[in-house]
Amino acid sequence: MTATNWVTRVVSALLALTLLFGSLLAVVEIAAAALDRGPVLVPYPDWTDWLRTHTWNDPIVQVLLGGLVVVGLLFLLLALRRGKPAALSLRNRTDGVDVTASRRSLEKSLSAATARTSGIAAASASVSRRTARVQARTLALSDPGIRDEVETAVKERLDSLGTERRMRTRVALTTKDTR
Amino acid sequence: MTSRANVINRIVLTVLGLLLLTAGGLGLALSFGAFGASRADNPMLPEEVRTYPDGRPWFWWAVVGALLLIAVLALLWLLAQLKTDRTTRLDLTTNAQAGYTTLHASALTNAVEDEALGIPGVTNASASVREHREKHLLLRVELADSADIDAVRTQLENEVVAHLREGLGNPRFAVSIELRPGANKTPQRSLT
Repeated sequence: MTATNWVTRVVSALLALTLLFGSLLAVVEIAAAALDRGPVLVPYPDWTDWLRTHTWNDPIVQVLLGGLVVVGLLFLLLALRRGKPAALSLRNRTDGVDVTASRRSLEKSLSAATARTSGIAAASASVSRRTARVQARTLALSDPGIRDEVETAVKERLDSLGTERRMRTRVALTTKDTR
Repeated sequence: MTSRANVINRIVLTVLGLLLLTAGGLGLALSFGAFGASRADNPMLPEEVRTYPDGRPWFWWAVVGALLLIAVLALLWLLAQLKTDRTTRLDLTTNAQAGYTTLHASALTNAVEDEALGIPGVTNASASVREHREKHLLLRVELADSADIDAVRTQLENEVVAHLREGLGNPRFAVSIELRPGANKTPQRSLT
């Protein structure tokens, strides 16, 4: 499960709990009021007074309404954000068999493939839906053709998997500070 | 969490987000005089709204009904977070009059895991039977960094999946395979 899905899950669980207990509490308050009893937990007479004494153009009301807009936008962002995929689809070979490659494992694999290239001191990779990005640190005075070598290693690794979509590769090289 | 729960979460959050955005946006428009300066000066809870339920006994019943509906929907939403799409049994009954045949999913998954672990380059394998739209087997396979991915995939599809389908007597049984290349540098399994 991706990080986006985890955040969505936690927010959804908290919201569901809030809605569940909030609505049950409101029912309890209505029942208590019908029996001529005072507020059970929610000081609703104070809330009613506050709403009667504040106008729409009151700054505190505007701040609260602005807060509603912000929370609404955050919910929409959470709902519509796709995030990085947990796995990438590979080309189909057999009917009824879907094969994917885990994104995190693929990143590790690309890092390892890059690090094995001669002249590379360390490497890290990140994979999105369409692009594989590799950042590598080269040893000082390394071969000028090293970028091509890294790119070839990354492409070979991706080709060996056979991703459904042809992926772009981006290689960024930095030189290791030897001071 | 199930992919169904993911879809539900996205739908509910979109609906709630749109509701809050609309309510907040309209309220702000009202407060800044978009619907007339006099309306912006009105209290948030006018007297006619506050006294509306007086003499209308059905009003609070309707509110209670709506609140209970929200509570039930919220409970279902909460339960959807806890539900997994794993299943522990497979129904293999072909003729109910002759009797029922069920298979423990673990018997199937253990066999699949063992066979997958026998493939050179596979360092770990875990399988589970899931039910999302239709029953299918999810097989996660960790591969050594030196593994020949193409060969592993061929063996998984041509042998492991074929044997699984043969065992179930269902040549179309759906299978999802998740490859995890580079999970371990060297195979952890010892030769026996």
